[in-house]
Amino acid sequence: MPDGPRGDDGARKATGNDESGDGPTSAAATRRPAGDRADAAEVTESLTERLVSTVRADAAVSRRAVLGGLGLAGASALGLSGSVSADAEHDETPSPHGASGTVGEYRSADFDPHSFLREFDTGTVTVEDGQRVREFEFAASLREIEIAPGVTFPAWTYNGQVPGPTIRAVEGELIRIRFTNGQRHPHTIHPHVKNVNPRMDGIPQNGPGVLEQGEDFVYEWKAQPAGCHLYHCHSMPLKEHIHRGLYGAMIIDPDPERVRSRPRDYVNYHGPMTDDLRAELVEEAELRNHEYRADEVDELVMVMNGFDTNFDGDNEVYAVNTRAFAYGVADTDAAAGEWTAGETIRPIRIRRDERQRVYLVNAIEFDLINSFHTHSQFFDYYDHGTTLKPTHKTVDTIMQCQAQRGIIELDYGDHQPGLYMFHAHQSEFAELGWMSFFEVQS
Amino acid sequence: MSDAKRTDGGATAAPEMPFGLPTWVGGVTPLLLLGVVVAGFLLLNPFAGLETGAAPPDLTVTHTSLPNDETVVLHVTNNGPEPVTVSQVLVNDAYWDFTLYAGGEATDSLGSVESGRIVVPYHWTEGWDIHTAIVLSDGATFSHTIVAPAVSPGLTGELLGLLAVVGLFVGVIPVALGMLWFPVMRRLSRRALHGTLAFAVGVLSFLAFDAGFEAFELAAEMPGAYEGSLLVVLGIAGALLLIQAVSKWQADDASHLRVAYLVALSIGLHNLAEGLAIGSSISLGQVSLGAFLVVGFMVHNVTEGPAVVAPVAEGERPSLWHFGALGLVAGAPVILGGWIGSAAFSPTLGALFLAIGVGAILQVNWEIGRMVHDRGSLGTVTNVLAFLLGLVVMYATDLLVVL
Repeated sequence: MPDGPRGDDGARKATGNDESGDGPTSAAATRRPAGDRADAAEVTESLTERLVSTVRADAAVSRRAVLGGLGLAGASALGLSGSVSADAEHDETPSPHGASGTVGEYRSADFDPHSFLREFDTGTVTVEDGQRVREFEFAASLREIEIAPGVTFPAWTYNGQVPGPTIRAVEGELIRIRFTNGQRHPHTIHPHVKNVNPRMDGIPQNGPGVLEQGEDFVYEWKAQPAGCHLYHCHSMPLKEHIHRGLYGAMIIDPDPERVRSRPRDYVNYHGPMTDDLRAELVEEAELRNHEYRADEVDELVMVMNGFDTNFDGDNEVYAVNTRAFAYGVADTDAAAGEWTAGETIRPIRIRRDERQRVYLVNAIEFDLINSFHTHSQFFDYYDHGTTLKPTHKTVDTIMQCQAQRGIIELDYGDHQPGLYMFHAHQSEFAELGWMSFFEVQS
Repeated sequence: MSDAKRTDGGATAAPEMPFGLPTWVGGVTPLLLLGVVVAGFLLLNPFAGLETGAAPPDLTVTHTSLPNDETVVLHVTNNGPEPVTVSQVLVNDAYWDFTLYAGGEATDSLGSVESGRIVVPYHWTEGWDIHTAIVLSDGATFSHTIVAPAVSPGLTGELLGLLAVVGLFVGVIPVALGMLWFPVMRRLSRRALHGTLAFAVGVLSFLAFDAGFEAFELAAEMPGAYEGSLLVVLGIAGALLLIQAVSKWQADDASHLRVAYLVALSIGLHNLAEGLAIGSSISLGQVSLGAFLVVGFMVHNVTEGPAVVAPVAEGERPSLWHFGALGLVAGAPVILGGWIGSAAFSPTLGALFLAIGVGAILQVNWEIGRMVHDRGSLGTVTNVLAFLLGLVVMYATDLLVVL
């Protein structure tokens, strides 16, 4: 394999190398080459020797040296004696440094993040007085969901899933959602669209206010502006209602006809509007619109979220689409730079001859920002997805505050087939679950 | 209990049993009825309405060991009434590979009051704290920080030898040196000798407080299911009463030599706990025994010597081998404790040994007090001040020993 796809494993190896990671103490103990267990006995022996010579050399404080050296001598004694059991334990793990990531596979089938990636709820379309209406049914309920292998979380859900269904509509339509609260706490749906009727804002202070258990309400929102948006519950306490799972993505496809007539709404550009530029924008709108040519692009929904399983106001699990490491690899042989996919934990397979579009939404609670970083890849980013020209061109890392979202356009056409990592570049989030891979296939 | 009916002991006019039943039937009947009530309770479950939900899980990391710099072992006990499933383990805020061993095999759950080992292959750095958290299936976490980690030495002949040397310096030698005051004590007036005994009681009392507080501190680390504090109370009372019973059994009058042996035994038990602390600290890689610490122990323990021989200072001198034996009984347990502590340390064991030591000290204090009281007066100015001096000296020398 070429070096590219193995970049990350190489990086991880470096932590075991001479230069990095060693504390201020006992350089000899830590400076041995990584993974070379045969050297252990030698090193500990030299340690013992050093200790003995220290004792001899420093006769004035001999007792201090003898006793002060006890811990060290004992440690080296263990290094010699402990190697057998250590080796036995290492039979199970290929890497002498252990493997990062969760242990085991997901056990329940309550949610499949792999199918969620490409699932869009387009509702039922009707036309009333010339106005296209898109209708949805939403219900809030309590559900135990599996967020890390073997770890469950009592979530508040829209339609039994976290994130809620990805709503997909077209610019200019009326989104109509009949929302029933089947859960014991009061809930709402608050849309991040340009909603011009305060009754429909889904907050306790307006319209129907919060909906108690058994109550329902029909929300109607104008689908505008085109972009990648978010909906969530706005009951108080807000932190809890969001982080317990009441959020989802709402994608509003640009209307190519509207783009043709009002192109300046879709680009942050003040020069002359040429026919070429207009045509470019219209084409981009068509490629974004699921009723036109969006099927030419591999579209993926990624909602960055997290779960506070022990109620300490800090997330124990981070993920895209709820399940920690769901788009990771099941096993890594870091010493050989190899990996295997699991049943429930496996990379996202993409084709290099296809364009990828990620609808990225940050629904994280308790942390100020989240981020998205691709390995060996640069992408165009459309903040909020409201423009048809990128707001960030050729970047490999973007960050989002809570509720911020955007569209990422990826092209792996130049890349050799293989594994390419992407993850939050908050290392903590990555190691707690927000670590994923694309498996690029020819 | 049925015994209550017979507290009149040998009274001839014992009341009749109702219905002319044999006495043993009367004794067993309440137990049988209790059995019936318990069975009925379990079958009918009349208090089902009081069950407001499962008890929260309770997992304790009793201690940790670091066999090498690529392995972290967490020793855990499930204190809750329900089994728990260990789903994931976090090391320094990262999910990490691990295996839970309980009952000799790899598993993912622990029954109530079951203990296990979580073995984590993690390349840690000496001196850099390791934060671990155990994530249960319901998302509850139990965290434990290993402060200033260092490789725990395994149990080797070399380590045992080294611990024996440490024990010799910390336990046997100071006690033996302290006993060399014996000839001087022989020449003391009775008043001064009683003062010396009171001093010894002060020394011992200080040790009792010292060990007692430490036992309760350790008890706090114990898995909740063991009721740590009550175990300490039981250990103290049990040791006190058992030694008292044994000494009463052997002879009703306190022979001086016997008191000396009791003092040696109680000091020995205390030193056992001291050895335990040293041994476990070394085995957990938490301490390097510096000269200052050892000197501290020596100065601290040298005061235990006169305490041992003070009871035999008056009257006929026991044969010399008794002195050797007294010194060994008082001092050598440091070595034994060191070995036990390094091999199998647990807070439960530590707290129990400390508690037993406290009980033994309390008993011996009572014994010495009675001895002084029988031969003169206990509450003299000399005795009271000597007692205080014992406390003060021990406090002062204790400052030298911070393990």
